[in-house]
Amino acid sequence: MSASTAPLLSVRDLKVSYTAGKQILKGISFDVGATEFVAIIGPSGAGKSTLIRCVNRLVEPTGGEVRFGGVDLLKLDEAEMRRQRRNIGMIFQEFNLIDRLSVMDNVLTGRLGYMGNWRSLFRLYSKDDIAKAVALLDRVGLIDHLDKRADALSGGQRQRVGIARALIQAPRLLLVDEPTSALDPKISREVMGMIRGIAREFQVPVLCNIHDVDLALEFCDRVIGLQDGLKKFDGPPAGVDKHALADIYSMEVL
Amino acid sequence: MVAAAEALALAAEQRHAQRIAELAASRKSARIRRWARNGLIAALVLWSVEAIVIGDTDWSRITLPGVWSAATRFIDFDASILLEMWQPALETVLMATLATLLGAFMAIPVAWLGANNISPLGRFTYLMGRVLMTLSRSVHEVVWGLVFVAAVGLGALAGVLAMAVRSIGFISKTVAEAIEDVNPGPVEAMRAVGANRFQVLMFGIVPQVLPTIIGNVIFEWDVNIRRSTIMGLVGAGGLGLALHRQMAAYNYGGIATVIFTILLLIIAGELISAWARRRVI
Repeated sequence: MSASTAPLLSVRDLKVSYTAGKQILKGISFDVGATEFVAIIGPSGAGKSTLIRCVNRLVEPTGGEVRFGGVDLLKLDEAEMRRQRRNIGMIFQEFNLIDRLSVMDNVLTGRLGYMGNWRSLFRLYSKDDIAKAVALLDRVGLIDHLDKRADALSGGQRQRVGIARALIQAPRLLLVDEPTSALDPKISREVMGMIRGIAREFQVPVLCNIHDVDLALEFCDRVIGLQDGLKKFDGPPAGVDKHALADIYSMEVL
Repeated sequence: MVAAAEALALAAEQRHAQRIAELAASRKSARIRRWARNGLIAALVLWSVEAIVIGDTDWSRITLPGVWSAATRFIDFDASILLEMWQPALETVLMATLATLLGAFMAIPVAWLGANNISPLGRFTYLMGRVLMTLSRSVHEVVWGLVFVAAVGLGALAGVLAMAVRSIGFISKTVAEAIEDVNPGPVEAMRAVGANRFQVLMFGIVPQVLPTIIGNVIFEWDVNIRRSTIMGLVGAGGLGLALHRQMAAYNYGGIATVIFTILLLIIAGELISAWARRRVI
C-alpha cells in the first residue's frame, strides 16, 4: 500500500493490561479513513474509553501498533508524542474545561502545543490564534459568552467550548469520548449534530465512543462494536441489526 | 448413615459452643488489658505531677499576698509609651507580610516536590519534599530566629527569614495536598492538546489549587503577625524587641502596654484575614 492511499489511522493488534493479568484490550485492529465518522459502541467495561486513549497515548498500550499518518505513535518518545498530539483533537465526557478560566482562555489552551513556556505562562496568544478562537466560538454559538468563566455555563455550552478547544488545534483526527453522557437527550442530539457538521465542514475524521446505540446509528458512517476487549462488529450502521447487537451486548442479553 | 450424620452435627455444635466460650473469655482479657492501660496512664500522670509540679516548684515563694502583688504590678498600665508603640507595631506587620510572601514563594517548589502525583522524579523527590516540609514545621520559629540572628545578625531581616522558613511547611503541605486532590479531567485535556509538563501544571493544576493557595497564605499571614510579636525576644525586631526592653527595665506597666498593643494587632490581623479569606473563597 502506498503512503497516499494508506488510512489516516491504522490500529493493529492493540493490547492493554492495567494491573498484572487483567487485560482490557485483547488485540484490536481497525482503520479510520480520511473523512470517516466512526462510532465505537459496547457495554460498560468493554474498553471503549481505553481504546480511544491509546490513540493519543493518554493510556499506554502494552502491545500492538497505532499508525497515524504513517507514523507508529507507540515508538515515539515523550516530546515527539507531544508534537503528534497537536494534530489530534479530543472531546471529553465531562468536558474537562478549566473552570476558573474564561471561555476564550479555555479555547486558546488548544494552542499550547505550539507555544513556549514563557508565552504560555503569561497567556500571550498570537493575534492569529485569538482571531481563530473568536471565529470558532461564533461557529459553536457562544459568541456572547467569550469572557464568562467556564463554570458559569450550562452543560451543553461547556461541551461546545470543548469542541472549539479541539478545533483550534486544526486537528487531523478527532477523538470523542462519550460526548453526551453528561447531557440530556435533546442537548445530546444537538451536540452530536454539531460534531458531525463540523467534522464534515473541516474534513476531519472522527473516532467516537458512545454508549447510546441510537445516537451512534443516526450520526455515524461506521460502527465498531466492542465487547470485553475484543472487536465484535465492524460495518455500516445499516448492518447493526438485532443479531449484531445481541452479539456485542451478549453479556447483558444473557 | 444416620448415626454418622448425627455425629457430624454434634461435632459441629461442640465446635460452635467452644468458639462462643473462647470469645467470652477473650472479652474478659480485653477488659483486663483496658484496665492495665488506663492504670499505666494514671501512674504516668501522677508521676509527672510529683516530679515536675510538686518537686520543681519553689513553694515558699507562693503566698497569696506575694502572688497578688506580683500580678498587680502589671495592672499599672504605662500609657506614656503607648504612642511609641506604633513604630514597632508597623514593623511587626511589615515583617509578617514580607515573611509570608517570601515563605509562599519558597513553598511553591516544595509543594511541587511533595505532591505525589506530580513530583518530578517520583518517590525520591516526593520524600525530599516531605522532609523539607517537616523540617520547616518541626523547628520552632524562635529557634529559626536564633539560627538567622546568628547568620545575618540582629534585626528585622533575621525575623523575616525565620518566619518565612517556618511558613514554608504549612503552605507547601496544604498546597501539595490540594494538588493531590485535583480533578484529573483538565490535566488529561491539557496532555491531549500536546502541552508539556510545565503547561499541564500551569493550566491543568494551578487554576484548581489557586483558591487553596491564596486562602492558606492569608491564614499564614495572620499566624505570622502573632509570630513576629515575639521574634524580638531573640533580637529579631518588631514588638518583641519592645517587650524585651520593658522586661529588661523591670517596667511591668510598660510590659502591659506592649502586651496590649500585641493583642490589638492580633485581633486586627485576625479580622483582616477572615475578611480577605471570605472574599477569595
